[in-house]
Amino acid sequence: MWRASNMLMSKTSRNARFVREFACHEEAIRAYVRRLAPSRSDADDILQEVAMVLWEKFDEFQEEGNFRSWAFGFARYKVLSWLRDHGRRRLVLDSDVVALIADESNEEDRHLEQQRHAFRSCFAKLPSDQRSLLANAYHPDMKIQEVAATSGRTTAGFYQWLYRMRQMLLECVQRQLASEANL
Amino acid sequence: MSNEARFRQNVQDYLEGRATPEQVLQMNQELRSDLDSRRAFREMLNLDSALMEATKEMMHETAEVTAELSEESAPQVQFEPTPEKVSASSPDGGNNHHWVSLLFLIAASLMILAGSLVWFAKSPEFAIVEYAAGAQSLSTGMTIGTESHFIQAGTVQLVTTRGTRIAIEAPALFSFESAQRLQLKHGRLAADVPQEAHGFTVITPTGQAIDLGTKFGVDMPEAGEAEIHVFEGEVVAQSTDGGNLSNLRNSQAFRLQSAAGTPSSFRSGAFIQPGEVDSLSAALQAGQPKRSQWALQELRDDPQLIALFDFETEQKQPGKYRCVQGRWPGSQAAEFVNVGDHMKLDVGGERLWPQLTLAAWVRLDHLGEPYHSLLHTDGWDDTKKGQVHWMVTRLTTMRLALRDNKLAPSDRPNEGFPDSQTSVLPEQGRWVHLATVYDSDKKTVRFYFNGKFDSESKLSQAHPARLGPAQIGNWNTLDRTLSGRIDEMLILGRAMSDAEMEHLFAAGNPYR
Repeated sequence: MWRASNMLMSKTSRNARFVREFACHEEAIRAYVRRLAPSRSDADDILQEVAMVLWEKFDEFQEEGNFRSWAFGFARYKVLSWLRDHGRRRLVLDSDVVALIADESNEEDRHLEQQRHAFRSCFAKLPSDQRSLLANAYHPDMKIQEVAATSGRTTAGFYQWLYRMRQMLLECVQRQLASEANL
Repeated sequence: MSNEARFRQNVQDYLEGRATPEQVLQMNQELRSDLDSRRAFREMLNLDSALMEATKEMMHETAEVTAELSEESAPQVQFEPTPEKVSASSPDGGNNHHWVSLLFLIAASLMILAGSLVWFAKSPEFAIVEYAAGAQSLSTGMTIGTESHFIQAGTVQLVTTRGTRIAIEAPALFSFESAQRLQLKHGRLAADVPQEAHGFTVITPTGQAIDLGTKFGVDMPEAGEAEIHVFEGEVVAQSTDGGNLSNLRNSQAFRLQSAAGTPSSFRSGAFIQPGEVDSLSAALQAGQPKRSQWALQELRDDPQLIALFDFETEQKQPGKYRCVQGRWPGSQAAEFVNVGDHMKLDVGGERLWPQLTLAAWVRLDHLGEPYHSLLHTDGWDDTKKGQVHWMVTRLTTMRLALRDNKLAPSDRPNEGFPDSQTSVLPEQGRWVHLATVYDSDKKTVRFYFNGKFDSESKLSQAHPARLGPAQIGNWNTLDRTLSGRIDEMLILGRAMSDAEMEHLFAAGNPYR
């Protein structure tokens, strides 16, 4: 009886620890997977698999270790094996290129995180109608043709608008980080 | 088209799943051979991921607002799992957040189909102002979206659409990214987060605090590092530069420095809590600041006045302390935080004062070891009979010690000094009026809390009081930092009556 309740306790605390770690690093892991996966919906699918593996392997994770780099290792492996399985039927980047990007991603993680952080305020500064349009464009269940139509643009015109917005946001992020560096 | 422009176009088409085999071939070659292209690629995909997150959150917020607006058509979705539920869930507990997001997207998309895109055009509302005590730019009932707010004076209390209550004290600059994410550029806030809002995050320039079910405070000075203080529950603190996470629990504090953070001493009283703002606001409406000014003017006209520090003058007293908001919006108080903080003064000269009244508005952070100085004359010299040390003891009572005075034999347990009977503990974290009246002729020391008489100590030997060089908030001999704020400090060369003390408190009370 004592052992049973003790085991239950330790299982609950393992769950709680995992949820805590995963919640704190989820955004970074998601971004890492996105950088390697060919599309947003593929990235979502791969992330599910990564989360599952992390959960299964969590007992091997050292308490004092760096959860993020531990998770990146599994994510890299998962993406590469996903590309191997799906690559023949899909148009994807070559595995050696993805592996290169993955490895350099590790080194740049801090910088990329700062960029995502800076992105938040750039995004918040956009007029609300532009934010809404972006939200629709990124909505997995929305057809881009319909979103384009509601914005009064042709589909091709809407893609160009989307590209310009992303480029502009990226420049805003870079400007902001450069100005913070000069403080 | 230049090579760079072509590469950019390729990446953008790739992001939208529109790249042709020819384009992917070009990208492979370029990415394989060129470091800068790989960097540009990573940054664009990183941005894409950030856009995914931000737009998902936007959908999430809008879905909630819509759900509230049209209850009959809204699916009943448990928005966020509680930690208990999560920790007791099946092995895919880690995906919970994911499933919840997914449910949201489904809910949101159903509503889009049913109700067109109208509500996306509306600017989002993340919080409402519940109380605005002296904050000019915000008023009660106002809704808050993504815009930035600067409050120069006063305190506001906000409630987010998820029910998190936040008290923010001026000067502060803040903006909401969503109902669950608040950017605090500088200022002080205390948040009370209900279960429905777990995961509420405060982002500061030096790091962020993620709630795991709590009451917590964030202090972000205009220059320096953010401090996270947990009053109850649990918070995860993380430095901006990717330092390790730190889990903070009850009564713990953490300073978010670049790269790493360090534990810090807990200061609960440094934060105006949700629940305090309404009584501050009521006092303002009742015209208390004016009454306080009149009372101070009366004291300034008192011929027996030795000193009155209200910290409002432009000339700062010497010492090491922070200038923060006092009891009234835009007013000043001195804050003592670090070991060695103090304010110097030299009043009363060589004169001996048979009667002395000391009073101050104080906001205490934490109590216990060592002693906390209210006013300590320099040294403790046996040639300076009657020199004054006024403090909160490590037993949390108030003490007035005069050199070479002796306590009359009494039944009350004491440490050989005149101590108050009541502890200041219950008032910790709020403004409290502390006062003591000394009379060497009557051989008595009387103590007052919030204008009410507490107790009297009788002396067998009583020298007239001696002032001179001294410190407020510390002692020049040993560290006796008062952890907290002092607003008004009154030093009067006569004994105030009980009625006068009650009047002084009532006129200066910031609460209603």
